[in-house]
Amino acid sequence: MDRIGWVTLAAATAAVPFLTSNTYYLYVAISVGLLTIVTAGLNVLVGFTGQTSLGHAGLYAFGAYTAALCATRAGLDEWLAIAMAIVVTSIVGAAVAGAALRVSGPYLAMVTIAFGLIVEGVLIEWGSVTGGPGGIFNIPKPALRSHYWTVMIAAALALWLTANLRRSAWGRAFLAVKESEIAAESLGLSSYYVRIVAFTVSAAFAGAAGALYTFLNGYISPDSFTLQTSILFLLALLFGGLGRIAGPVIGSLALTLLPELLTRLIDYRLILYGTLLLISIYWLPEGVVGALSRGRRARAASPPALSPEGTGEVTREEEFRNPLPHRSSGQREGVLLTAESVTLSFGGVAALAEVRLAVYRGSIHAVIGPNGAGKTTLLNVLSGYYAPDRGRLVLEGRPADGLQPYAVARRGVARTFQTAQVFGGLSVRDNVAVGVAGPRLAAVASALVGTPGARRGESEFQGRAQALLESLGLAAFADHPAAALPAGLRRKLEIARALATRPILLMLDEPAAGLSPAEIGELDRQLTELRDEGGLAIILVEHHMDLVMAVSDRITVLDYGRVIADGAPEDVRRNPAVIEAYLGAAT
Amino acid sequence: MTLQLIVTGLALGSMYGLVALGYHITWATSRTMNFSQGHAVMAGAVVAYAAFVALGLPFALALPVTLVALAGFGAIVERVAVRPFFLRASPAWLLATIAVGIIAENVAMLTFGKDARAFPSALMRRPIMVGSAGFYPQELLVPLVGLLLMGLVQLFYHRTPYGKQLKAVAWNPEAAGLMGINIPRAVMTSYALSALLAGIAGVLLAPLLNVAPQMGTIIGLKAFAVAIIGGLTSAPGIILAGLGYGLVEAFTAGYVSTRAREIVGFGLVIAVLIVRPWGLLGEKPSRRV
Repeated sequence: MDRIGWVTLAAATAAVPFLTSNTYYLYVAISVGLLTIVTAGLNVLVGFTGQTSLGHAGLYAFGAYTAALCATRAGLDEWLAIAMAIVVTSIVGAAVAGAALRVSGPYLAMVTIAFGLIVEGVLIEWGSVTGGPGGIFNIPKPALRSHYWTVMIAAALALWLTANLRRSAWGRAFLAVKESEIAAESLGLSSYYVRIVAFTVSAAFAGAAGALYTFLNGYISPDSFTLQTSILFLLALLFGGLGRIAGPVIGSLALTLLPELLTRLIDYRLILYGTLLLISIYWLPEGVVGALSRGRRARAASPPALSPEGTGEVTREEEFRNPLPHRSSGQREGVLLTAESVTLSFGGVAALAEVRLAVYRGSIHAVIGPNGAGKTTLLNVLSGYYAPDRGRLVLEGRPADGLQPYAVARRGVARTFQTAQVFGGLSVRDNVAVGVAGPRLAAVASALVGTPGARRGESEFQGRAQALLESLGLAAFADHPAAALPAGLRRKLEIARALATRPILLMLDEPAAGLSPAEIGELDRQLTELRDEGGLAIILVEHHMDLVMAVSDRITVLDYGRVIADGAPEDVRRNPAVIEAYLGAAT
Repeated sequence: MTLQLIVTGLALGSMYGLVALGYHITWATSRTMNFSQGHAVMAGAVVAYAAFVALGLPFALALPVTLVALAGFGAIVERVAVRPFFLRASPAWLLATIAVGIIAENVAMLTFGKDARAFPSALMRRPIMVGSAGFYPQELLVPLVGLLLMGLVQLFYHRTPYGKQLKAVAWNPEAAGLMGINIPRAVMTSYALSALLAGIAGVLLAPLLNVAPQMGTIIGLKAFAVAIIGGLTSAPGIILAGLGYGLVEAFTAGYVSTRAREIVGFGLVIAVLIVRPWGLLGEKPSRRV
C-alpha cells in the first residue's frame, strides 16, 4: 500500500467516532483493530519467517485471561494489566516456540494446534482461576469511545512496528531463514533461534490484542479461543497478504465486515471461510494487497529488468579497489584447519573414509576427484552440516567437532553451495547485508521501534554490503531481487555474501561451474587476490582443472571417499594413482 | 473398572490407529496429508446415518454406499486441495485441506443439522457383564475390525502388485515414474484409501459416540497425535501408538477427568516431539544439503 492509501486509511479510522455514535459500529471497528494487531504479529511469524501456527488463539487467550485476572483479582488498572498480559504472553510464546520449533511443516502445525487445545482445555477445567466454561465477568472496562482510540492507536503501532522490523537486520534474518535455512546457517544465523524470536514477537502482539479484547467486553469465556479462532487469524492474514505490511489491515477488514454484512448467512460461515481460504491459496499468493499492487505496477511500468550496464564492463581497478577485510587474527602462517580420520557412511555406503586434510592460512587448497568421490560431503562435514561417524576437526588450534553449521560459521568459516542458495526474495544488496550482520543482531525490541542505535547499525550494514557489491562488480544489480539473477551472477553473489561474514576460511563448491572462459579468468584473479592481499584461506572444490592447477597451493585428491593423493599441484599431476583414478579417465 | 477401561481404550485406540494409518498412507506416497482426515471420519458417520437411518436402507447396502462416498471424498480432497500444490512442494496443501474440511463440516451441518444424534446398533442394546464390568458387543467389535483392517492394509502394501507400486512411489517418486507408475493416480488412490479407512472408523464409532458434524476435528487431531507418536513413516508404530494412546486416554478419563484426557494426550505429543520428533518407530530424517 502506498502513502495515499495509508493516509486515507488513517483519516477514515479517525473519522469513524465522529460519524457515528452507534455502539454496534464502534464495536465492529474495534474488532477490526484487534484482528489487525493479532495478524500483524502473525505476519512476522508466517509471512516473514515462513512458519505456520494454528495455535495463536491460545496465545490470544493468555493475553485476555492475564489482563482479566490482573484487573479483577489484582485490581491493577487497565494499562498495567495490558503490560502484564504482553509480558506473560511473550514468555509463554517463547516457551512454546522453544518446544514447537524443533519441528516444522505439518509437525509444527500439529504442535501449535495441540497447544491451542490444551489452553482451551485448561481454561475450561481450571475453574477456580479461569471461571471454567462461564469465564470471567464484571471486568472493569473503559468507555467504548475511548477504547476505540486505544485499540486503533495500538493497531497503527502494531503495523508501524512490523514495518520497522521488516526493514531491519532482524527482518532480513527472518526472510533469510524462510528462503533458505541452509544458507542462513552458513552465515552464522541459528534458524532455530531466529524462529523463536519471530514466534515470541507474534505472541507479544497476540497477548496485547487479547488484553484489549478483555477490556472491550468486560467479559471473556473459552468460546472465543477455539481452533476456529486460530484458523480465522491465519485466514485473515492470507487473504490480506502474507508478508505484506498492509496485509493484516485488509484481511481483518474483510474477515470482520464480511460476516457482519452477511449475518443472514450465519449458517454458511464455515463455507465462506473455507472458500475464502481456497481462493487465497489458489489465486492470491500475496493476498489482496499483493494482487492490487501487482496490478498497479503492471499498469504503471514494465517490470524491473536487469540493467545491462556494469555486467561485463567493469574495469579491474574498479572491481578490486579495496582488498576485502577479514577478521584475521594477525597470523598469516601455519595450519588453520585440520581434519583427521573423518569417516561418514550413508546407509552402509562409505562416503568418506579416514579422510585427512590440513589447510594452511593464506593458501588455496583444492579438493578434486571424480563425481561421487565425496568432495561435497567433505565440505558439508567441515562446515557442520553433516556430523561424521568418526574423526576430528581442529580449527585455529581448537576442536571444532560436533558444531552446528551456524556455530562453524561464527568461528570464521564461510561457504558457497553447489547449487547456489541465494535468498531469492531479498534484493542483491540485502542478501549481502544478511552476511554482513551475521549473528550480530541487536535486541529485537530496538529493531521493532527503530531506535537511533538500530538505524546506525543498519546504515553500517548497508554501507558495507554496498562496498562489497562494488568491489565484486555486482553494484549494478544491488536493488534487483536475487531470484532474477542469472546463474553466473548468483554464484558471484554467493561469494560476496560469504565474504561479507569476514571469514578466515572460505569454502567454494564448484564456483566455476557454468561460467564462461572470461568469467573463469576473472574468478582466477579474484581467488589469488583474496589469498595474497586478504590473507584468506580457501578450500576449492572444482572440476575445472586449468583453474585448479593455476591457483592451488595444495591439492587433495579424493576417490571413493578416500584420499588418494595430497600435495603440491605438480606432484599430484604426476601421481600415478591420480592419473589412473581421475586425470587419466578425464583427459 | 480396569477391564472396562481396557476395553474402551482399545476400542477408541484402534480407531485412532486406523484413522492415523490414513495420514501415513498419503504421507508415504506424496509427503502430504489430509489435515481434515477427521472430517472424513465425520463424513463416514453422517453418510452412514443418512443411508441407514434416514433412508432406511439395510445395513448391508448402507455400508457399501458409505464406503464409495468416502473414497470419492478422498479423491476430491486430493484433486482440489493437494494436487495443485503437491508438485510445488508448498505447504499450501495443509491449509487447503483444512479449507475443504471446514466446508464439509458446514455442509454436514446444513443437511444433517447441528445436533448430535444416536446411531442405533443391535450391538449396543445389551451390555455383556464380566463381574462388575459391563461393556457392549460393539466395543469388542470395534478393535477387532480395526486390527483386521490394519492387517489388511499392511498385506495390501506388502503382498499385492499395486500395493508394492504405491510403496515404490513412496521410496522414490522419480524412479517409480520412470518405471511407468502413474504417480498422480497413485497419490489419488492413497487419498481415497485414506478417507475410506477414516470413513470405516466413522461408521464403527457412530454407535459409541453419537453422530454430529463437529465430531471430526478432535478425532482427526488425536489420530494425528497418534501418527506423530508412532512415527509418520511407520505403520506398525502407528498401530501400537494408537492402542497405547487409547489406553492412556481411557485411564486418564477413568481416574482423573474427561477434560484432563485431552490435556494429557496432547501434552504427550509435545513431549514426543521434543524428545523424538520422528516418532517412536519412525525413520530419523537426514539433512540434505
